Amino acid sequence: MIRVACLLGLIALAVLVLTSVHLDGATATLFSFVGFPALAAAMGLYLLQRWRAGAFHSTGNSGPSIR
Amino acid sequence: MLPILVALPAAVILLWGLVRGRLPPALAVAGLALPAAAYGLGVLMVMEKSKDLHFCGSCHVMTPVVESLHATDGDSLAAIHYTRGLVPTAQACYTCHSGYGIWGTVGAKRAGVMHMVRAFTGWYVLPVHLNGTFDINSCLGCHAGAASFRAVTAHQDPDLQAALLNRSMSCTGACHPAAHPDAALTGGAAS
Repeated sequence: MIRVACLLGLIALAVLVLTSVHLDGATATLFSFVGFPALAAAMGLYLLQRWRAGAFHSTGNSGPSIR
Repeated sequence: MLPILVALPAAVILLWGLVRGRLPPALAVAGLALPAAAYGLGVLMVMEKSKDLHFCGSCHVMTPVVESLHATDGDSLAAIHYTRGLVPTAQACYTCHSGYGIWGTVGAKRAGVMHMVRAFTGWYVLPVHLNGTFDINSCLGCHAGAASFRAVTAHQDPDLQAALLNRSMSCTGACHPAAHPDAALTGGAAS
C-alpha cells in the first residue's frame, strides 16, 4: 500500500512540475482533476496504512493522570 | 519555480518509499508535508497565472475570442478596450470577467473550474454565450467616476441609471457594441 501511495504521490508531483513549467488550459485541467485527486488518494492511502498499523490507536496510557 | 523546488525533495522521498516499500517516520512526515506544501504553492501559482490572457486563449474555444481582441475596426467593446490600452493587456479577460471586488475574484475562479470541466468534457454549445448576466460593476468600477462618462447626456438620464443599477439594461447591445464579435464565439468554426 505504501508503494501505491508513493506512486500516486509521484504522479501528483509530476503533474505539478508539468504545470509549473508550462501552464495552459490543458495542464491546469490535469493539475485540478488528476494531480489533486492523486495527491489526496496518496495521502489517504498512507494514513489508512498507518492507521491499520496502529499508529492512531489509543493505547490507554495517553490520558492525563487522575491522581 | 518555487513549487518545483519543494516538489524535488518530496519526489526523492516518495521514490525512496516506492523502492523500499516503507518510509522511516521522519521521512514519512516530510513525505506528507512536502507534497502538500508543493501543491499549496502550485495552487497560488495557478491562481495568479491563470489571470493571464494567454492562459484564457489556450483552450481552443477561447482562442478566436482572444485573437479578436487585436481587431481595430471598433466592432467589439473588448477589442476597443484592449487595443487602446484601457485594460491591462496581459490580464484583459480577467479584468472584465472577474467581476468587481473580492467576491468577483472568487466567482471568477469558481467559474474557471467549471470552464475546465466543460472544455474537457465538451459540455458546451457553440456559439458560446455568457453564463448569466454580465456584472456591469466591472464597467462602472472604472467608468462611473470618470468625467467623460458623466458628461454623456444619456448617462445622466435617471431612468437609464435605474435600468443599469437594477440590471434590466446592460452597457452592450443597446448603446455600445457587443463585447465580442459573433464570429469569434463559434470556437473557430464557421458561424
